[in-house]
Amino acid sequence: MRLADGIALLRRHLRPQRRALWWLAAWSALEAVPVFLSGLLVAGAIDRGFLAGRPLLGFGWLAVLAALWAVGALGTRQAYPWLAATVEPLRDSLVTALVTASLRRALAGQEGADGSSVVQATVQVETVRALFSALLRNMRQLLAAGVAALGGLAVLSPLLALVVGSFVLLALALFAALLRVLIARYRTVVLTEEKVTALAAPIVGGVRDVVVAAAEGRAAGEVGAAIDAEAEATRALARARALRLPVVTLGAHLPLLVLLALSPWLLAGGHLSVGQLVGGVIYLSSGLEPAIALLVNAGGTIFVNLGVVLGRLAEVSAEPPTRSLAAPGSFPAGYDLALERVSFAYSPDAEPVVRNLTLDVPEGLHLAVVGPSGVGKSTLANLLARLAIPQQGELRLGGAPLSGVDERYLHQTVALIPQEAYVFAATLRDNLSYLRPTVGDRELEDVVAVVGLEQTVARLGGLDAEIEPGGGTLSPGERQLIALARVYLSPAQMVILDEATCHLDPVAEARAEQAFAERPGTLIVIAHRISSALRAERILVMDGADPLLGTHEDLLAHSTLYAELVGHWSDVRCAGAVHQVDRQP
Amino acid sequence: MRRGPPRRLARFLGPEAAADALRTSGNRVLRHSAERARVAVVVLVVVALIGVATTVLMPAALAVAIDAAVAGVGLPSALVRLAVVLAVATAVGAIDDLVGSYVGTAMTARLRHRLLGHALALGVPGQRRFPAGDLLSRLAVNADSPASFLPLLLSAGTTVLVSVGGVVGLALIDWRLAVTFLLGVPVAIVLVRLFLAQAGEPFLRYQQSQAAIVTRLLDAFGGVRTIRASGTAEQEITRILQPLPELNATGRQVWALQGQASWRFSLLAPMIQVLVLAVGGFALTAGSITTGELVAAVSYVGLALSGIGLADALVSLLGCQVGAGRIGEVLDTRPTVGAPPHPVPVPPGPGRLELHDVTVRMDARVVLDHLDLSVPAGTSVAVVGRSGTGKSVLVSLVGRLLDPDEGEVRLDGVPLFLLAPAALRRTVTYAFERPALLGNTVHDMIAYGRPDASRAEVEAAAAAAQADRFIRLLPEGYDTPLARAPMSGGELQRLGLARAILTGARVVVLDDATSSLDTATEVKVAQALERLLAGRTSMVVAYRAATAARADLVAWLDAGRIRALAPHQVLWSDPGYRAVFAADQDTAVADAVVPAGSEA
Repeated sequence: MRLADGIALLRRHLRPQRRALWWLAAWSALEAVPVFLSGLLVAGAIDRGFLAGRPLLGFGWLAVLAALWAVGALGTRQAYPWLAATVEPLRDSLVTALVTASLRRALAGQEGADGSSVVQATVQVETVRALFSALLRNMRQLLAAGVAALGGLAVLSPLLALVVGSFVLLALALFAALLRVLIARYRTVVLTEEKVTALAAPIVGGVRDVVVAAAEGRAAGEVGAAIDAEAEATRALARARALRLPVVTLGAHLPLLVLLALSPWLLAGGHLSVGQLVGGVIYLSSGLEPAIALLVNAGGTIFVNLGVVLGRLAEVSAEPPTRSLAAPGSFPAGYDLALERVSFAYSPDAEPVVRNLTLDVPEGLHLAVVGPSGVGKSTLANLLARLAIPQQGELRLGGAPLSGVDERYLHQTVALIPQEAYVFAATLRDNLSYLRPTVGDRELEDVVAVVGLEQTVARLGGLDAEIEPGGGTLSPGERQLIALARVYLSPAQMVILDEATCHLDPVAEARAEQAFAERPGTLIVIAHRISSALRAERILVMDGADPLLGTHEDLLAHSTLYAELVGHWSDVRCAGAVHQVDRQP
Repeated sequence: MRRGPPRRLARFLGPEAAADALRTSGNRVLRHSAERARVAVVVLVVVALIGVATTVLMPAALAVAIDAAVAGVGLPSALVRLAVVLAVATAVGAIDDLVGSYVGTAMTARLRHRLLGHALALGVPGQRRFPAGDLLSRLAVNADSPASFLPLLLSAGTTVLVSVGGVVGLALIDWRLAVTFLLGVPVAIVLVRLFLAQAGEPFLRYQQSQAAIVTRLLDAFGGVRTIRASGTAEQEITRILQPLPELNATGRQVWALQGQASWRFSLLAPMIQVLVLAVGGFALTAGSITTGELVAAVSYVGLALSGIGLADALVSLLGCQVGAGRIGEVLDTRPTVGAPPHPVPVPPGPGRLELHDVTVRMDARVVLDHLDLSVPAGTSVAVVGRSGTGKSVLVSLVGRLLDPDEGEVRLDGVPLFLLAPAALRRTVTYAFERPALLGNTVHDMIAYGRPDASRAEVEAAAAAAQADRFIRLLPEGYDTPLARAPMSGGELQRLGLARAILTGARVVVLDDATSSLDTATEVKVAQALERLLAGRTSMVVAYRAATAARADLVAWLDAGRIRALAPHQVLWSDPGYRAVFAADQDTAVADAVVPAGSEA
């Protein structure tokens, strides 16, 4: 089933390379010419030359053979660019499909956040490239040698070719059957290998935790079982490989023995000359035998690996179902936001994270959301940015249902900055102008100053400094400042900061939040520290069942949780303040 | 040719001396593995030798059969001999593969068991020496080095023997054939060198472009929420695939190089064969060799040429040696924390901890310097100090995650090294900043040290750690597989706390175990812990002033010693003590007014 998927994948990606494949085949055919004629020419050299007492004529036949080998080498030389023209675009096409599909799946929330499976898949694309090119090169050799040997034999003696040919066909059928078993067993080996790594990774990484739990025996036992399973899978594969034996015997050795056994009769009846017998033996021993051995040994490995790897690649590069918007989206008139009895749960069985939430956020409001982590603050942010769709209730933007708002319009209007700031490998300028590519230098520099990014820009060496993959030397705080500046520059009318300043020190955080508060539009801050709440006009306290909305004073009076949070925070501040008085004599 | 590969490998391995040590250790592992599988190795060698014999005898048997066919005498016996040689050759190949595979898997599995067991025995000090990713690659990739080494060595050996056999076969038929062949060999060697010298640079560039795509993709994976919220998926795909044309161009360069080498080889081997045929044909005319022998000569040329593949085998052999060395490096490291020969039972006492004249050195740096600390039973002590002063090292001593280089740690008067490790672990437990994701499910992770714990016990522990609510929101609650439970740093820390709470240990150490919690959650966790830890001894590595304030006593660590052991309120009047918290974000607002360098 999955093998079929893999083959379909390969065919789909090879289709544009058909022309290159034909050229490759054509040059490979030229390459096969000397193999094809070698037996005939050697037979001629022996019969007409060396055995007839005319060695010079024999040399002549051999000279023709040498010339043909030179032509064959020309074929090899010409074939390589076409091999490259087949394999390189195949790789490009597979990488493109893989990157596109895995990113889309990650965006649809179907991919582990660490992306390790995708890294593995990119390695597998490389494996496909290597294996497929090895297959093409070996196949050329295989077909050239095998077909040429059988063809040459047919010219020497059609009857003999028929007998040998049927043995070869039988061997091929046997090999095809064996291949299925080999692929299935090799797949098991790959899967058990992956399991060993998957089980060992957390244990090797968490040795300290295992030691503390005194669970060394348990940990070693769990991984040990996987190690033993992998060893058994490898042995099972080796046992299946032993079945190659009859393939080689049937396809290569039996024809040779048959030819030799029949030779006295063939020679006596005048069907075959001594030179032709030699030619036939050369076809079988130097052409067919290596070809079958190659097919069974190298070819087997290649087919098996390719089959398994392609099957796994087909899984990884499957596109997720795309969400299609039936009707063209709406363009609401205003930016007032309203939630009406909104509920959301991650799965039908799980408890809802947000339950029956009703909330009005008029345009231009500065709202802070506080509450213990896990209470659904980030989920609320996702709902507001339409990254999550509520199971019950409705969100409205400017009076229109949020679910019907035009995709592009929504992305331009609502900006969400998550805790983990996104910085990518490109210039700092590209990173900042990500949401508004047309922005000018003057404005860029202004915003850099507004959010407090000047020192970072200076340290990196200006806006055109390249940022390394993974953010390079940028601290988590600097990354958050870049994400903040990026959204500040965007046309968004509604900005949601989801703990987007948690790596900044309180002074920098205050500065950044102040900048966004003064920027036109709505600002919603999911607070990491309680201090964010003191700066907001309204505060939403989320604590399980009853979310409360109000001003700082309202909430101090009515929410015990809020009072507790603020009290805790003030304690620390007071301790500092008291000391300050002490220090000034 | 022979000096090429070692030099290239050395470049990857860094300094020569380190590489030598690695190879010495590798040889020891290889020898040890081979000695354990002595019988199988002997079988493999014998089988390989039979293989060589049949390969070399095959052309001769063929020649005899052809000559018998031409002469019409003795064909049946010649055919039987040929059939036997062919059958033995095939069988030998299969046996060799099967036996090699059985021996190899046993070797690899055994090394993996040993490696994992040893990594666990090395414990925390070992983790510092061998980082997780590195150890994992040793386990997954390097552990099969001895298993691959043996067949590679055998096949290199047989290749040499077959090559030599081919030349000898030619010489036995007619010495002039051997001479003709040997004249072609130098040309072949020059061509091989030429290819190896040129190929390195584009190969490296190819790998770099490839890595560039992967890192860009991983970048984007880290920013999934931003990309979704900004609707910039298409833009991202274009950006990630930017290095692709470069990759394509480099790939084609590599092919061009391989093509060059390949067409030269494809010319060389048949040309040598034609030359040998010409010389042999002349001898046939002269009657000094038979027709069958001419055919055999063609086969012998093929056998003799197989030696060219030896260069690859040499590189692979060196790779195995280095791989085995990486295994040996771990196995040769001695565990520093060991079990006592005659363990003493853990005293039932209240949980008094004493560190007496303790010194710890790391990489020649003195971290703890003749430190004394006494923690009264049932109190909570916050360990406080600037970053890098060894707070984690100090608390590691209490549960014997580390042993001090000098001095003694005692629990209720009994030195820790006298206790059985498992009993000690039940008495002293830890929660860390980043708990490891152990076990299959969330339940399993909390109950990792106590697999017998009931669901109710696990839930109670999770509730105390403020983890119960978010666990219930997961798709399958407590039975959610860890792989499908994406957790924030704060959520993970709460699972770690729940795990520590569940053990019910008498002494609890929290090593920065609440640092990722937001203010609101930390307050709740602190309140729950206060209730749970009442009457137990606890040590808390604290970065926030608020955390230190909640402890009964603060142990202020400075320059490798305890500078003070007193309540937070008492210490707070000391500017040096307050400076310890300068980097703490919650107090930074207040402390910003105090110049950082104001202390004496």
